[in-house]
Amino acid sequence: MSEAAGVSLMAVGPEVALLLGAVLVLMIDVYRNPPRKLLGWTAGTFLAVAFGLAVYQWFRIGAEGPSLSFGGMVLTDHFSVFARWVVLVLAAGGLAVGWGMIAESGRRAAEAIALVLLAAIGFQLMAASVHLVMTFLALEIGSISLYVLAGFTRDRVSSDEAALKYFLLGSFASAIFIYGVALTFAGTGGMSLLDVNAYLAGEGTETALVVLLGVALLLAGLAFKISAAPFHAWAPDVYQGAPAGVTGFMAGVAKVGGFAALMRILVVGFPGLAPDWGPPLAGLAALSVIVGTLLAIMQDDVRRLLAYSGVAHAGFILIGAIAGSEGQPAVWFYLAVYAVQVVAAFAVVAVVCGPASSSAPFGNFAGLGAGSPFLAASLALMLLAMAGIPLTAGFVGKFAVFVAGWEAGYEWLVVLGLVTAVAGLYFYLRLLVVMYVRAPIPAEAPGAAPARARVGAPAKVTLGAAILVTMVLGVVPGPLLDLLSDVL
Amino acid sequence: MADFPLLSSLVVLPLAGAVAVGLLPRARRELFLPVGVAVSLLPLGAAAHLFLEFSVGEPDFQFVERMTLYEPWGFGWHLGVDGISVLLVVLTALLVPIALAASTSITDRVKQFVVATLLLEAGLIGVFLSLDLLLFFVFFEVILVPMYFIIAIWGSDRRIYAATKFFLFTAFGSALMLGGIVALGLQALDQTGRFTLDYVDLLGLDLSRSTQLWMFGVFALAFGIKVPIFPLHTWLPDAHVEAPTAGSVLLAAVLLKLGTYGLLRFNLTLFPQATVDLVPVLAVLAVVGIIYGAVVATVQPDLKKLVAYSSVSHLGFVVLGIFALTSQGLQGGVIQMVNHGLTTGALFLLVGMLYDRRHTKQIADFGGLQKVIPIFAGLFLFMAFASIGLPGLNGFVGEFLILLGSYVTLPAAAIVAAFGVILAAVYLLWAYQRVFTGPIEVAENRGIPDVNGREVALLAPLVALVIVLGVYPRVALDRVAASTEAVLDRIEQATAYEVPEQGRLTDVGAEAEE
Repeated sequence: MSEAAGVSLMAVGPEVALLLGAVLVLMIDVYRNPPRKLLGWTAGTFLAVAFGLAVYQWFRIGAEGPSLSFGGMVLTDHFSVFARWVVLVLAAGGLAVGWGMIAESGRRAAEAIALVLLAAIGFQLMAASVHLVMTFLALEIGSISLYVLAGFTRDRVSSDEAALKYFLLGSFASAIFIYGVALTFAGTGGMSLLDVNAYLAGEGTETALVVLLGVALLLAGLAFKISAAPFHAWAPDVYQGAPAGVTGFMAGVAKVGGFAALMRILVVGFPGLAPDWGPPLAGLAALSVIVGTLLAIMQDDVRRLLAYSGVAHAGFILIGAIAGSEGQPAVWFYLAVYAVQVVAAFAVVAVVCGPASSSAPFGNFAGLGAGSPFLAASLALMLLAMAGIPLTAGFVGKFAVFVAGWEAGYEWLVVLGLVTAVAGLYFYLRLLVVMYVRAPIPAEAPGAAPARARVGAPAKVTLGAAILVTMVLGVVPGPLLDLLSDVL
Repeated sequence: MADFPLLSSLVVLPLAGAVAVGLLPRARRELFLPVGVAVSLLPLGAAAHLFLEFSVGEPDFQFVERMTLYEPWGFGWHLGVDGISVLLVVLTALLVPIALAASTSITDRVKQFVVATLLLEAGLIGVFLSLDLLLFFVFFEVILVPMYFIIAIWGSDRRIYAATKFFLFTAFGSALMLGGIVALGLQALDQTGRFTLDYVDLLGLDLSRSTQLWMFGVFALAFGIKVPIFPLHTWLPDAHVEAPTAGSVLLAAVLLKLGTYGLLRFNLTLFPQATVDLVPVLAVLAVVGIIYGAVVATVQPDLKKLVAYSSVSHLGFVVLGIFALTSQGLQGGVIQMVNHGLTTGALFLLVGMLYDRRHTKQIADFGGLQKVIPIFAGLFLFMAFASIGLPGLNGFVGEFLILLGSYVTLPAAAIVAAFGVILAAVYLLWAYQRVFTGPIEVAENRGIPDVNGREVALLAPLVALVIVLGVYPRVALDRVAASTEAVLDRIEQATAYEVPEQGRLTDVGAEAEE
C-alpha cells in the first residue's frame, strides 16, 4: 500500500498548527514579558485553527475517502480525525481548567502552555499512525510532555515524585512497547500495520510464537498508558501528585491516545488474531474493573479515587475494545465522554483544593453542596455519569460497550462489568454524601479546605460545556452514535 | 384529544414543575412547598383525565406514543397504558401532592426537596408507562438518584447508611437486569435480524426454556429486590424508617410497586415458560414473606418499622396473587398494589404526624392517646382496619381475590397465607392498643394537638378511596380485568399451562361485592 505514500501537509495539518502555536508561545515569551492573556489567546487561536483543519479533513475524507501519506505512516481517516477532535477539545479544556495554575507560574506559563500543545500533537499522531515506529514516536512525544507537566510545580516534593514515578514507569512501558515492535518486525518482516496485516493474511492459520509475543508486548506497553490493571500502579501517585490544574488533561488525553493506538493495532494490524488477543484482553479488562473498583472504595482522597476509578473505566472501555472493529463506535463514544467527565471533575478539584495542590481529602469537599452549588452540582453530575446513571452520557457509553462486548461473545465479562459498575456506585455515592450531607469543616480546624479560589471564567465555561455535553449526549446520544457507527 | 400526547405530558409535567420550582428566587422560601404542591396537581389532573378516558374492556395498550430515538438499538420513546398500569399511574399522581403537602416539617433545603420529589414523580410515572425496555430501565434506575437524596439529606439519624444500602441493593439487581435486557435485544437480532428493545416487538420472540429461565432469574432478582421478596428485603426497614415522611410514603406506596409491576408486566409475558416452571419457588417465597413480615412486624418496638415490615407481608400477598396465574389472583394482585399504596401511604403519613408532635416513634413512649387526640386515633384505626382487610374497606377486596385465586392453583400456599391476614390484625390492633388505649403514662403525651384542617384534608382523599374501592371495586377491577386476562391468554398460548376453570372469571367484580 506504500504507493499512496507521498508527503501531504494536509494530513498532519492540525499537528502543524499546534506546533506553530507552541513555538509562537515560546517565542513571545522569550522576546518580552508578555501578559499571560496574550499567551492564552495565542494558544486558543491555534487550537481553534487546528480544530478547523480537523473539521475540514473530516469532510474531505467524506468526499475522497481515507488517504495514506508519509511513506505509509499516517492514515487520514475518520478514526484519526475524530481522535483529533477529542484531543483538541481536551487540550482546550485542560488549558482553561489549568489557567489558574498557569497564570500564577510566572515566567514558566509559556512552558506549560507549550507542553499541553505538544502533548496534544503526540496523542493525535498516535491515533493517526498506522506504523509502529510512528506510533512509538508519537507515544514518546505525548508522554514526555506529560512527564514534565506532572512535575510542573517542582517546588512541591509530591509533584516531583509524581513526575519521576511517571517517567520511570512510563519509560519502562515504552521499552516494552518497542520490544514488541521489534518482535513483530522479526515475525512479520514489517512495521507498518497494513503490511503486518497483509503478511498475516497470507500466512494462513499458523501464527508464529514470536508474533504473538510481539502483540502481547505491544498491548502491555499500551495497557500502561491507559492505566489498565495490572499496569496501573503509577496512576494514583501521579494523579495525586501532579498539579490539579493539568491532571484532568493528563488523565483524559493519555487514555484517548492509548486506546486509539490500541484500536489501531488490533483492528488494522492484527484483526485476524482476534482469538489470540481476545482472551488476554478480556483478562486485562476483568482485572481492571475489579482492581479499580475495589481500590477506589478504600480511598479517602478524591484524586486517588478518580485515579482508581480511571483504572476501572479503562476496564470498561476494554470490554468494548475486545469486539475489535465492531466495538470501535462504542469505544470512541465512551472515551470521548469519559475524557470530558474526568477533565471537569479535576476542574472542580482544582478549584476546591487549589490548582497547584497535591491532595484532595474528602474533608475539603464537605458542605460543598451548600457553599458552592454550581461546583458541587458539576462534580455530582460528573460522578453520576462516571457511575453510569441513566440520562447521563456515562450510561450510554457503558451500555454501548456492554452491547459490543456481549455481541463479541464475552457475556461473562459484561456481567462482571455490570456487577463492578454497581459496586462502583458506592464510592461515587460516598463523595456525594460528603458534598451534600456533611457539614463543612470550619476554616481553622485541621482538614479544612484551603480558602476557595474564585472559579475563573475559563473554568466556568469548561464546566458549563462539560455539563451540557454530559446531559445532551445522555438524553439524545443517537446523532453521535450514528455518526461514529457510520464512519468507523 | 386523540393527538395530544397525554402520556408524555404525564412525564413532562412533573419535570417542568421541578424546573419551575428550581427557578423560584432563593429568598422566597415560603413559596417552595405551596408551588410544589400546586404544580404536582397538574399531573394529577392529567392522570384523572387518563383514568376517565381509559376505555374499559380493551386489553391492548392505549394512548400509545411511539417515536424511535436510536434505530440501531431499536430504542424509542414508546409509551402506553393498559389496565395494569393505569391505576398505578393515578396512584402515583395522587400521592405526590399529598406527600409534598405533608412535608411542612422539612425546613432545611426545601427547594431541593420539592425538586427531588417532583423528579421522582416523573421517573415513577415513566416506569409505569414505558413500553421500551431500555426506556423502562432508564426510568427505573434514574429514580434511585432523587430517592437516594431524599433519604440521605432529609432522613433521620442513620440516613446515610440506609440510603446507601437502598441504592446499592436496588442498583445491583437492576444491573443484572440490564445484562438480561442486552441479551434479549441480541436474541431479537438473531431471530428477526433487528436489534430491538421494544417490549411489544420482544413479545414476538421465541425463547428457549433455558434462556427464559436465566432471563427470568435476572429480571426477577431486580424486581424481587424492589418488591421486596423475602429474603431480599433487608434494605426496606432501614430505608423506610430513616426516610422523611414523604419519602416513606412514596417508597412504600409507589416504589415497591415497581417490583410487582415489573414481575407482572415483563416476567409473566416475556418468559411465560419460565414463569410456569418457577411458580412453586415464588409462591413459597411469597408465603414466607407474608408470614415472616407479619411476625417481625408484631415484635417491632418502633411504629414506623412496624408499618415497614407490614409492607413485606402485604407485598407477599401481591406476589402470591400474581403467581397464582388465575384471573382472580392477577386482578387481586393489581388491586392490592393500589390498596397497599393507599393504606400504607396513609399509615406512614399518620406515623409522620405523630412524630411531628412527639418526636418519637417508639410505641412504648405512647399510650392512651385516644383521649388526647380522638380524631387522629379514629383515622389510624380506620386505616389499620383497611390494611387488615376488614370487609367493606379496600384491603378486603384485594386479599379476598388473591386468596380465592391462589386457592385454585396453590391451595397450600393460600391456606398458609390466610394466617397472614390474622397476623395483620394482631400486629396492627396490638399496636393500636398500646399507642392509643390505656392510661396516659407519659406526661408529654397530654398536651399534643389533634389533627388540624390541613392534615384532615391530606387524609380525606385516601379515606374516600379506601371506602370507594371497598364498596364498589368494579371501578378499578373493570379497568384491570381485560389486561390481566390478556396476560393469562398469552401464558396459555405460549406454554402447556391451562388456567383451571374456576380460575378464569370475567366478572369478578360482582363476586367480590357480595
